[in-house]
Amino acid sequence: MERGFLKERSSGKTIYQAKRQEKMKKRADSIEQTPVAGYRVTTCEFLGRVRFDGIILLAVLSFYMVSCNKKPAQTNVFQTTPYKISVPRFFPGQLNIVADNPLTEEGITLGRYLFYDGRMSGRTFPDSLMSCSTCHDQAHSFECGMGGAMFPNGQTYGLTGILTPHFMMPMINLAWTNHGFLWNGKVSVENANPAMRTLEDVTWMAIVAPHEIHGDTARVAALFQTIPGYPALFMKAFGSGHVTVKNMGRAIAQFVRTLISADSRFDRYLQGEYQMSPSERNGYVLFMTEQGGDCFHCHGGDGNPLFTTNLFYNNGKDSIFTDPGDRSGITGRLNDIGAYKAPTLRNLVFRPPYMHDGRYKTLDEVLKFYNSELVWSPSISPLMHHIGTHGVKLVPGQLADLKAFLLTLTDSSFVSNPAFSKPDKFPDGK
Amino acid sequence: MKNRLFFFVLLIEVAGCCKPSETIYRPFGKIRMEFSHTVGGRPLLTDTLLYTTATGHPYMVADLQYFISDIRLYHDGGKTLQLTSDSGIHYIDGRIPGSMQWSLKDGIPPGKYDSLVFTFGINAAKNRSNRFPDPPERDMAWPDILGGGYHYMKMNLMYRSSAGSVLKPFMFHLGIGQVYSSTLPDPDSITAYVQNFFPVTLKTPVVITGGKVQGLQCIMQVDRWFDGIETFDFDNYPGGIMQYQEGMHRACVNGTGVFEGEVIR
Repeated sequence: MERGFLKERSSGKTIYQAKRQEKMKKRADSIEQTPVAGYRVTTCEFLGRVRFDGIILLAVLSFYMVSCNKKPAQTNVFQTTPYKISVPRFFPGQLNIVADNPLTEEGITLGRYLFYDGRMSGRTFPDSLMSCSTCHDQAHSFECGMGGAMFPNGQTYGLTGILTPHFMMPMINLAWTNHGFLWNGKVSVENANPAMRTLEDVTWMAIVAPHEIHGDTARVAALFQTIPGYPALFMKAFGSGHVTVKNMGRAIAQFVRTLISADSRFDRYLQGEYQMSPSERNGYVLFMTEQGGDCFHCHGGDGNPLFTTNLFYNNGKDSIFTDPGDRSGITGRLNDIGAYKAPTLRNLVFRPPYMHDGRYKTLDEVLKFYNSELVWSPSISPLMHHIGTHGVKLVPGQLADLKAFLLTLTDSSFVSNPAFSKPDKFPDGK
Repeated sequence: MKNRLFFFVLLIEVAGCCKPSETIYRPFGKIRMEFSHTVGGRPLLTDTLLYTTATGHPYMVADLQYFISDIRLYHDGGKTLQLTSDSGIHYIDGRIPGSMQWSLKDGIPPGKYDSLVFTFGINAAKNRSNRFPDPPERDMAWPDILGGGYHYMKMNLMYRSSAGSVLKPFMFHLGIGQVYSSTLPDPDSITAYVQNFFPVTLKTPVVITGGKVQGLQCIMQVDRWFDGIETFDFDNYPGGIMQYQEGMHRACVNGTGVFEGEVIR
């Protein structure tokens, strides 16, 4: 040891370098001396190993030096708990979940708080609060319903009193929505504006829309940054305690995707756990036959328990059209004039009024319309083949049967599921 | 040790020399089908009232969606080659550009093939309800009460019944037919179902070359659905035919002559 030190000192190397070189030499000697199945290390290989060991040493040293400079907090690993949607039997396997926003327990928890927190308006005075749930009421299957104090006729308006251009759409099973969101499918992957393509984008759109919150995204984010508890929830969900409207949208979209309705009598019928009454059964047949009610071409049924194709149809309500927000407003196609997305028929009983303009207050009025009040127009959907007789012309007993079937799509557990309901308290204890 | 290795290598060499013909690599070829729709030999223009049936009804096509399946290639030596890519079923939708091509995954032995045959629709064994839970195929579901499975085709039309009248919708939908004991198509009186799928032959010789993809254009001549062996009159049915087996049968008879094949060079 001593000898080595003195010897190397004379060549200007440190003790460590000297020891290291000696060790390598010994190792090289041992390799040279060990016969392994006829393999013999050449001089080049030997030099390569010496160089390789040096590189490893440098790498290890660098790693330690870098590690010493890091703050302890930065060594924490951001981890979330994946949430897997349990796809009900016969439901589509393809879910509309964007790649950069997978569902997590943390994201859904945060999203539920935000969905219900009236401070989403960016304001804190009691008369200035508005959140998703202001209009999307669980008791009405996440529509506003009729008869409530705020929106008695089912017509919603924004925080500043501006009427929404359309009545509400069902917020049910949106995890399977394709062909875009909203009545005209404006929010879709086909939108030229990349900020209006996904369910995540609906949050910022609602914040700035004059007929909704009529607010300011920066103000909303800044407010939530100051509310105790929220930054920590954002940290858990997205790895950053910095509140952004983008992450708000991601969290709310996650929560909304969990709003699944698949526990109606019809669902239990599909599972073989419910026997339809004769009237319900007759109604089902009428629903599924072209020469009966012919509902299935637009609303699914057999093979499509979502009870919507999510496609757009002019179903014969009018002959004159003035709404720029119909499907043609998106596609520019003349044949899309007066066309709107066919909504799901699940939970109809909880969510009058009906149609994009809420013109029908009861289910009976809707059935009467399809039975005898259809109106022809040049852009009428080719699927409305009963237009020549202004409707499907069912007799009263058949209409009653059809209604009985439609009511089998009622899922009461959906409107009472505590996982979907307003949290008892918000993160700041309020 | 060295001797053993030498003999082992020698053995491999000798064995290799004995089978020269089996070591030649002969790659398979492939087929890519491309679908197009025409009327009177010109590309179909949808949503435009341009065409007239033999019975004098102007019409326009809004939607055209259909299945083909069970592709078979007939070799000039008499052999048949069944292709099974994607369970042998392909969905074509005029509004979905991606569906207008089908690159079959099957490797095809090189050679000359006389013709290609496919099933229009889906055969009885494969046409099961809930087979396609996802859109767009899902939206082709055919009601269980009417036979189940899937529409073979949905062609949604508007036509003019008589001069000066407004356009009427017509749902030219094909699938499993029903036999009714009643005069009206009352589902409670269904006594039997009819499988309406049929074979289509494209008498287009195709030469498959190893390692290459051969394109084959499959052209649906839309007008021939109405003006073929049978004359199809929209006015004879109440806006649709899925509960009128006579109408579906008439359409299917015409359907065998609707398609043409063309090799893409």
